[in-house]
Amino acid sequence: MMDIIKIGFRNLIRNRHRTVVTTFAMGFAGFIMILFASLMQGMLQASERNAVSMDVGDIQIHVAGFRDDPDLYKQIKAPDVLIKKIETAGLRAAPRLYGFGLAASGSASSGVQLHGLNVPLEREVTEIHKHLAKGAWLDPNDPGGVVIGRRLAKTLDISVGSELIFLGQSADGGIANAVYRVRGVLKSVGDSIDRSGLFMVETAFRGLMVLPEGAHEIAVMRPDRRGELSTAKSQIASLAGDYETLDWKEIRPTIARLLEMADTQLIIIMIIITYIAVATVVLNAMLMGVFERIREFGIMKAIGVKPWQIIGLIYVETLAQTAAASVLALGTGWAASVYLQKNGIDLTHIVSGASVGGVAIDPIWRAQVSAETVMTPILFLFIMAVIAVIYPAMKAAFIRPVDAIHDQ
Amino acid sequence: MKQHPRGLSLLVAILPIFFLVHPLFAQSQNEAEKILRHVDDLWRGESSSAEMTMKVKTAHYTRTLRMAAWSKGKANTLVRIISPLKEKGTATLKSGKNIFTYLPQTDRTIRLTSGMMMGSWMGSHFTNDDLVKETRREDDYEAKITFRGERAGQNVIEFTLIPKLDAAVVWGKVVLTIRSADYIPLEEVFYDEEMAVARTFRFRDLKVLGGQLRPAVMRIIPADKPEEYTEVIYETLELNLPVEEAFFSIANLKRR
Repeated sequence: MMDIIKIGFRNLIRNRHRTVVTTFAMGFAGFIMILFASLMQGMLQASERNAVSMDVGDIQIHVAGFRDDPDLYKQIKAPDVLIKKIETAGLRAAPRLYGFGLAASGSASSGVQLHGLNVPLEREVTEIHKHLAKGAWLDPNDPGGVVIGRRLAKTLDISVGSELIFLGQSADGGIANAVYRVRGVLKSVGDSIDRSGLFMVETAFRGLMVLPEGAHEIAVMRPDRRGELSTAKSQIASLAGDYETLDWKEIRPTIARLLEMADTQLIIIMIIITYIAVATVVLNAMLMGVFERIREFGIMKAIGVKPWQIIGLIYVETLAQTAAASVLALGTGWAASVYLQKNGIDLTHIVSGASVGGVAIDPIWRAQVSAETVMTPILFLFIMAVIAVIYPAMKAAFIRPVDAIHDQ
Repeated sequence: MKQHPRGLSLLVAILPIFFLVHPLFAQSQNEAEKILRHVDDLWRGESSSAEMTMKVKTAHYTRTLRMAAWSKGKANTLVRIISPLKEKGTATLKSGKNIFTYLPQTDRTIRLTSGMMMGSWMGSHFTNDDLVKETRREDDYEAKITFRGERAGQNVIEFTLIPKLDAAVVWGKVVLTIRSADYIPLEEVFYDEEMAVARTFRFRDLKVLGGQLRPAVMRIIPADKPEEYTEVIYETLELNLPVEEAFFSIANLKRR
């Protein structure tokens, strides 16, 4: 056994060029796989983060029918009490108010959806406060300051510091009209917010729309986003009573389906394709390595080396090279992925403002490195190598010495 | 926000010209069209000035607005709110196809965009679109007399108006009932494209306004919320006053 290992290594060293080329080829393929897995993971997480953490939250509570026909009067009564209960259950919740109207600046105007947010609670639930392109997020001490979606800013041709007029109908049927100052402009969040999102603090909303109490929506977030979504949902549903409880997959079915599909099918298909390419490289190198030395194996067999020892020898060579390639792939792949996790690929010019299923695609494509994205490719590399050399190993092991020696 | 059925220009109806129906008889072979033409012609009064009260009752609020309105020709209308105090001075100007709203709270004038057209006008059951769209029944509908005789104690003529193919009308049909004696409208029912009733206008309280007997009260009832209504009550009406075109300008919107 020790002899086989020794011979294996000696063979590798003797055929230095071939060893280096094979190792580098496998290492490069491993590097690509790690980078690819990390980037896919990053994209999926970014999409889910945009869908869930920027806007929807894990779970939402509404008055039944609000989502189909959002009107000012479909309110959740005593939202504070319900929020307290949700918080006691270990989840986070924030009330939201919605209204519709017209925002105008100069001669430009556009229909808007008004979002009235409880700033401190919203901060616990979503990350929209971190998602500003310009300016600052809402501040409860500045009720006259609003934050708007990026396309709305473009439509109205306004930016931070500009003045914006809102015109709508308040709950008492009167005219809701006020002037606001733009505090911040959001990055791309999703179609609806980008185009028509106008965010203001809860107190400003209540005053403007004459809506002293109630909430239109309660957004709930699991504190660590771990555990089963369905468990949390049924927990919330029992607290919410007669109100409608939906999870984000029901609220954004398009993106949820896409993520599910991407999570399984797309990644698997892409990984299989990459891995088949790797396997071809490994198989090719090994086949060449074996056939080149077919006479050598013939002589070995002639002097009494057993077939399993030849198989062993080829596997020693393969595994040694794969191990070296893995180290190479790990080092480079991990480093590159971490770099892309930090810096990302800037696709601003290509996908700026693009969205899928109403959820914005982050124009900076960042990788997401995890044990899974790094180790899975390495594991597959080994599996592929082991499978790829079955044929050349068998060929070498069972060749008749006479045929081998006469092989030209 | 309330969504109201979009419509034929009936906010014009809240303006006095709507009521300028005076008796004229027509006995040609196409009597329906002739009567209708007169009704239409009368809506195009040269100019008018009126004071009115608008009562809005919905499931969520009741409000009463007093307002003054002026019109000149087809294209120009100005409505200014007199009370309540909170909304005093709020004015709507219709000039051609545009609607401008002056908002005294913020001292701003806004031009309404297409997105706002289906929105409620001043919290009523009228949409902004009702204000802009001006249609002539004669142009947009094929009229037929579908009933003639006694109904609820008075002689009436009922017209069924079917939109012409190329007319920019969202209704499936309109059924207009007028008094046969003096052509005073009693009721106008708007049907949607599925031929279900969308809203009903009822006219009552005949009074001498602008030198003629006209219904002083018009009530609009949305079919999907029969307990709600908007009622426009005319207090004064003067017709064919000399009004300058310049009166219907953005600059004049702000004047209180």
